[in-house]
Amino acid sequence: MRKLWRSGDPFIWLTGGALALSLLMVFLLVGLIVASGLGIFWPKDIHRFQLADGREIVGELIEQEEIPDPDAPPGTPAKHRIKVKQANRDLYGMDFLWIDEADIKAQEIAAGAVQIERREWGNFIGFAKEFRDGETVLQGAENALEGARKRLPEIHELHGRISGIEKDEIGALSRQEEEARLRLKGLERRGVKEGPEVEALHDQIEKLHGEYARYQEELSDLRAQMTGSLVLSAAGGMEKEVPLSQIVRVFQPNEMGLFGRIWFYATKVREFFFDDPREANTEGGIFPAIFGTIVMVLLMSVLVTPLGVLAAFYLREYAKQGAFTSAVRIAVNNLAGVPSIVFGVFGVGFLIYFVGGTIDKIFFADALPTPTFGTGGILWASITLALLTVPVVIVATEEGLAQIPTGMREGALALGATKFETTWRVVLPAVLPSMLTGMILAIARAAGEVAPLMITGVVKLAPSLPIDGQWPFLHLERKFMHLGFHIYDVGFQSPNVDAARPMVYVTTLLLLIIVVALNLLAISLRNRLRKKFKLSAV
Amino acid sequence: MSHAIDPANVSALLEAKPSSPRQPPQGPGTGSLRTAAASRLLLDQFVRRTVKVGGILIIGSILAILVVILYEVFPLFRSLKSTPMPALSIRSGGAPLALAVDEYQEAAIVVREDGIAAVSLDDASPLPLEALDLSGATIASASEPRGGTVALGLSDGRVLPLQIEFTASYADSGRRTIAPHIQAAPSLTVLESAAPVELLTYVQGPDGPVTAVKNGPSSLLIVQATERRSLLGEVAREETRTTVQLAGDAGEITALAINGLAEDVFVGASSGKIVRIDLRKDAPQIDETASVSGKPITLLGFLIGGRTLIAGDTGGQVSSWHLIRNEATNTRHLTRIHDFESHAAPVAAFSPSVRNKGFFTADSFGNVHLHYGTSGKTLLKDKIDTSSLSALAYSPKGDGFFAVSREGKLFPFELDNRHPEISWQTLFGKVWYEGYQGPEYSWQSTGGTDDFESKLSLTPLIVGTLKGTFYALLFAVPLALLGALYTSQFMHPSLRATIKPAVEIMAALPSVVLGFIAGLWLAPMMEKVLPGVFLAFIGFPLMILAGLLLWQKAPDSLRRLAPQGREVFVLVPLVLLALAFSFGVGHLVESSLLGGDYRRWITSVLGFEYDQRNSIVVGIAMGFAVVPIIFTIAEDSLSNVPPNLAAGALALGGTRWQTAVRVVLPTASPGIFSAIMIGFGRAVGETMIVLMATGNTPVMNFSPFNGFRALSANIAVELPEAPEGSTHYRVLFLAALLLFVLTFLVNTAAEIIRLRLRRKYQAYA
Repeated sequence: MRKLWRSGDPFIWLTGGALALSLLMVFLLVGLIVASGLGIFWPKDIHRFQLADGREIVGELIEQEEIPDPDAPPGTPAKHRIKVKQANRDLYGMDFLWIDEADIKAQEIAAGAVQIERREWGNFIGFAKEFRDGETVLQGAENALEGARKRLPEIHELHGRISGIEKDEIGALSRQEEEARLRLKGLERRGVKEGPEVEALHDQIEKLHGEYARYQEELSDLRAQMTGSLVLSAAGGMEKEVPLSQIVRVFQPNEMGLFGRIWFYATKVREFFFDDPREANTEGGIFPAIFGTIVMVLLMSVLVTPLGVLAAFYLREYAKQGAFTSAVRIAVNNLAGVPSIVFGVFGVGFLIYFVGGTIDKIFFADALPTPTFGTGGILWASITLALLTVPVVIVATEEGLAQIPTGMREGALALGATKFETTWRVVLPAVLPSMLTGMILAIARAAGEVAPLMITGVVKLAPSLPIDGQWPFLHLERKFMHLGFHIYDVGFQSPNVDAARPMVYVTTLLLLIIVVALNLLAISLRNRLRKKFKLSAV
Repeated sequence: MSHAIDPANVSALLEAKPSSPRQPPQGPGTGSLRTAAASRLLLDQFVRRTVKVGGILIIGSILAILVVILYEVFPLFRSLKSTPMPALSIRSGGAPLALAVDEYQEAAIVVREDGIAAVSLDDASPLPLEALDLSGATIASASEPRGGTVALGLSDGRVLPLQIEFTASYADSGRRTIAPHIQAAPSLTVLESAAPVELLTYVQGPDGPVTAVKNGPSSLLIVQATERRSLLGEVAREETRTTVQLAGDAGEITALAINGLAEDVFVGASSGKIVRIDLRKDAPQIDETASVSGKPITLLGFLIGGRTLIAGDTGGQVSSWHLIRNEATNTRHLTRIHDFESHAAPVAAFSPSVRNKGFFTADSFGNVHLHYGTSGKTLLKDKIDTSSLSALAYSPKGDGFFAVSREGKLFPFELDNRHPEISWQTLFGKVWYEGYQGPEYSWQSTGGTDDFESKLSLTPLIVGTLKGTFYALLFAVPLALLGALYTSQFMHPSLRATIKPAVEIMAALPSVVLGFIAGLWLAPMMEKVLPGVFLAFIGFPLMILAGLLLWQKAPDSLRRLAPQGREVFVLVPLVLLALAFSFGVGHLVESSLLGGDYRRWITSVLGFEYDQRNSIVVGIAMGFAVVPIIFTIAEDSLSNVPPNLAAGALALGGTRWQTAVRVVLPTASPGIFSAIMIGFGRAVGETMIVLMATGNTPVMNFSPFNGFRALSANIAVELPEAPEGSTHYRVLFLAALLLFVLTFLVNTAAEIIRLRLRRKYQAYA
């Protein structure tokens, strides 16, 4: 024992243990997110629980936990309770329910149970009773689902047309009207209160109102066509009529085979990636958040890469090395350590209120006091993140420049090339992979950063995307949605955290995959680069 | 000009840009060659300049961050400035008793002995005003204008409450006109003797107006009117009159005031005492007497909100008082809060702000002081050229003030006074706010009511930031340093090549992911196994030691699976085992030693509340973010220790451990120090983890079982709601400046240490 102590091996093992614990934590975290995230879209069986007090609960089994009982004498077997998702928020008041296992008399897979995803009020779990159109019953209990399923595609198409009109046509109308009003206001500001111009604008607004009324008519027409409803009975003897227009999808998880489940999973994944969110972001897809993140990151890369590279070339190739450059280098390095929220504060104080406010005063004076650029938006968020990540690009590019053997530059210069030609034709191609590494690292950092965005233009629900079919197509002043903020907002600001949790896990998984993949790409790129220059430097 | 290409470089060149191998220029003659060379040189010059200018600009713009933040913070600390404007003469008609101005400083209403007049503040010309019927009486006294109401004491013993209003109207051209209005309420006969009302105070309480009038040298008449609106909308008015006689030693009544909710009447006496009469009892009665000074009190008044009493005396002393409730005896006591800078002569006039806790006082010789009630600071001292100053008005927007002399001379002042509530004391020290039991560090930036006062002490936020950083480093430093030591000194190099990228991935995990897991998964989890977490600190080393002992006895075939340098393969399962063991024992300990519920035990024995989202959770989550940073830098500096040092130690017979701890570690210690500093910088500024994994309550303790509110999270939450240019906005910028300066200093120090270390290593090699 003493010998062992003196050899120092226990300490070595202790240090190894610390490393093992760190690694374990990483794997645990990633494993936790992957395990919880991947399982969420898998259809779960619906169970029926008969309770001792005669109640009947139908729902999905979510988790099981031990009931803490501080007063129980030691040694008593632990009691457990289960969490059941009973859905039907409108009937029961809450989606989730804890049941003591001791109270359960019988438990079985509920044959024939139907789960409905609704546009409002969350899911519904029950048993089909009839399918009806208005007062007429079209199908009884056996064929009700069949009938509803047959009619659903038509209803979905109608729904798509309605939301298309609401979003595109009516959206365009209100934009045109807003524009006309602004022009009126601008004329008024210049003292023009009457005259042909004003008349024309008034006429235009009048005309837009007429069109608007026509669209409204069309909408109510379409809505009237969305008939049909499904009558279901829920546990507890209640009955509910769900109109087909409220239904996103109907499924019977208990009756699904393996392929049915895989198919269901695939459709849910597709919905997650490509659909708009529903129900305060806790259901549906996250397409706007993905899109917003991508646009923001692209804008940021367009800004940060040339700037960072220029600064790096200046520092390494053009500036005289000395106290100034090393001071700047220290400053740049440290800037990478300045808290991201400080950059956000800079974005608010300088970009939004000063630059944005000035732009508003000069170009959008008619819209004031409603700010156009003088409030958070995707442009300001991108510039803020570009500033935040510029040290990453500078450091990576400089590192690359330092690794290029001086002989390469000297060779080009000796052959009569000017400094610019050397830089452009010899140094730049050689340093390209380093620049790329820096850019990828910057993108990875930007994709995961949330704090500065919270104050410079991210919102929980953006009415329109930053790029769309409206002139000028790219709307730099618009607020946008972001994956990281989505996680914070849905997980911590939503009123029903239990119902939101699955969504947060999946979003987290997606963000994690993006960030880790980008980092792995940067690491492998860098490693390859190092090997290459080790060879060529010889 | 032919180009022979150096064969050593051609491969790299081709590889770098295979599509365009350099072509020698093939000019037709020397003349064009020369122009080509000139244009090449010109281009080179141009690019050289552009890169230089661009590079310096970019680097400069990075540093502009500091400038912008400083620029936003600076106005907080700018001292207050007043500019006297040309004095105006208004028609004299007896001494002015009260003065009111509108928010644009265009019109004023002056209450004088002979009546009320409105004047324009541009040229002192009279403005139209409703006639006031005094039925032959003159105005003997006036109360302090409060909430647009001033009560006049008439020479025939009546009290006349008067509503003062300024309405702004805009002409088509956009020109603004201010019209002053007065509206008299029914007068109240107070003194049956029809003697003039010399001293009065009046307030519109929640149940109805309350008036207090001096009706004898040391006696006071209090008239409380209760107005009840019946279902039909008729107002039933009930009146109770009470006469209160002060005790003999109090002296003559010299000042009167009633607080905002009409709960108490405060009487200033010539003996320098304040007598408080409680109105909440069935009949008003004297509740307490407090001594201000030995000199007669000349002024009593309330700041906005009606809770801070200001007292001034003939000695020129100005002090503020709160009514503090004693919870034990359920009594209230007048408590002296601040003494302000004194006047040289008796305090004669007073005017509170309608926006904040600022107020003006003046003596009759024209010395005007601006004080701030909360901070106790005197912000401004001005001297006005008069010896008979009789009334003051603080402009409603706080951007000017006016004084009027007995002779009818009006002195306007402009005031640049945007953040009067801010001082080093209110930002970092303890402040005694209204309704508080004592001075406290308090951050509470927004409240529900209009007269809510923002409490902007950064100290609880700084404490919160340091608390989070402390727990994060407590968790991360040992883990990262031990891990780095193992990786650099004991681990097999081939394994090291895979460990480092894994740690880099750990560093890249977005903090919002860590925060989410900490808040929604770790916090509830931790609540279940907290005793086990504490036990793990002992269980972990014990288990590893036990594992090592067993391992030495293990058969060689098994030991070959994890030879020296690859112990980590055995250690991973061992650590898992250690954690499981600790949590298991933790449950046993909880049920046997801690009475079955550790939370109850923490509350009863340790005296802390247990929050689910507490500092331990943040410590682990933020530690997770800091570990890879400390690990990478520490590992670098340990690995870069020149190998000949370690080789020498090993050759002299040192063990692996001795070499690592006595030779390598001391050499690399500056690098390790800088690693910890950079980790500190990261933890200080971390925002999302703190935001999501704590309750974000600003507390002033270091208890691991409670949360905190950090500077960074506070900025993220509050900045979108703070109006641009407001005090709150600038204080948030100050918080950002603190973070910036702190991290920049720490990181610079760390960087310099690291550079110096690198030079040292080069000397060894």
